[in-house]
Amino acid sequence: MRFTFSTMGTVVSTQWQQSQPMTSTESLISAEVEKVFADFNLTFSLYLEDSELSRIARGALKLEDSSEQMRSVYAQALEWRSATLGAFTPHRRDGVIDLNGIVKALAIERSGTVFEEAGVDNWSVNAGGDVLCGTSTRGHTVGIVDPADRQRLLCAVTLGTGRRAMATSGNAERGDHIWALTPSAVGVFAQVTVMATDIVTADVLATAIVAGGPETLDDVTSRWDVDVLTIDSAGSFRATPGFQGALERSDHSDVG
Amino acid sequence: MVRTRTAVTVAFASVSAVLIGWQFGATTLAPSATPSAAASSSAERTITGSSVDTPYGSVQVAITVSGKSISEVSAVHLTDQGGRSVQISNYAAPILRGEVLQSQTAKVNMVSGATYTSEAYLSSLQSALDQLGG
Repeated sequence: MRFTFSTMGTVVSTQWQQSQPMTSTESLISAEVEKVFADFNLTFSLYLEDSELSRIARGALKLEDSSEQMRSVYAQALEWRSATLGAFTPHRRDGVIDLNGIVKALAIERSGTVFEEAGVDNWSVNAGGDVLCGTSTRGHTVGIVDPADRQRLLCAVTLGTGRRAMATSGNAERGDHIWALTPSAVGVFAQVTVMATDIVTADVLATAIVAGGPETLDDVTSRWDVDVLTIDSAGSFRATPGFQGALERSDHSDVG
Repeated sequence: MVRTRTAVTVAFASVSAVLIGWQFGATTLAPSATPSAAASSSAERTITGSSVDTPYGSVQVAITVSGKSISEVSAVHLTDQGGRSVQISNYAAPILRGEVLQSQTAKVNMVSGATYTSEAYLSSLQSALDQLGG
């Protein structure tokens, strides 16, 4: 079963297999997942004039008067800013709070609980190029796009236990929420892919490495249990040992 | 905060320096190293160097020797100036393009890339996958 829908300015692709006994129908699961993304979008989109975050951005709503969810997500984003030493930030240059860098991952994570609770097998969610697969999903292969030619794949790696999430960041299409942290970090990495246990960590750290450059890459790989593949603007690659191992294993994948 | 990161970077640089010194000194300073035999092959052995204090923390490395050449160098212990252990084993190292571009024909379930717009999705590989189904 594949189901796709448009939200948050991008497209979400989902895939799963129905198991027995069914606790939900395909259409109910599809509708629930779509609603998860729609709800996050209605609250956090800066493209929707009446979203809660848009009202905060134009001063019509004070942050302290905002919903608990808004303050909780903002607090979470600030914790990531501290943890990444500023490489990830929930603020635009003009000071406006922009939670775009974390909200999509939160929606992916929430939609994952929909699949887990429905008891479906081999599920995965791909929102705009960021992928999460289920706790029991096995041999799930994800191709990584070549930033120089988006009709080609650079490679394929297999997600699984301990590496259920993969996020890729870059400036190829929509680098609107990524700012270089230091002048030396500008444009070093054309694309950064991070594999992690959870999608929020993968997404935030991929964004942070693009913004922070090689210094942030070394910092991230020393402090987090993640695997990383980077492509710099000259087309050279760097990879953690775990990522290289995942590449090798993909050669023997028999998943179709 | 910035200072901490600089220290870590310098610590990495100092590892290289220590390694070079250690390699040159290996023949004359053999007693200070503790050979631990590798069971698999008599031609291959792992030697762990002694811990060296540097201005940036303590560093200890191990080398695996196959025949007359060093086949692997790994950091056993490394701390930065703040005393924090640095997991150099997870370091993202340069990798040859050919090693990455190896599985373009692999069948994939999903495609990961930098965020695409709804319009760009239409011409994306993910869109092709979704249309093929399966």
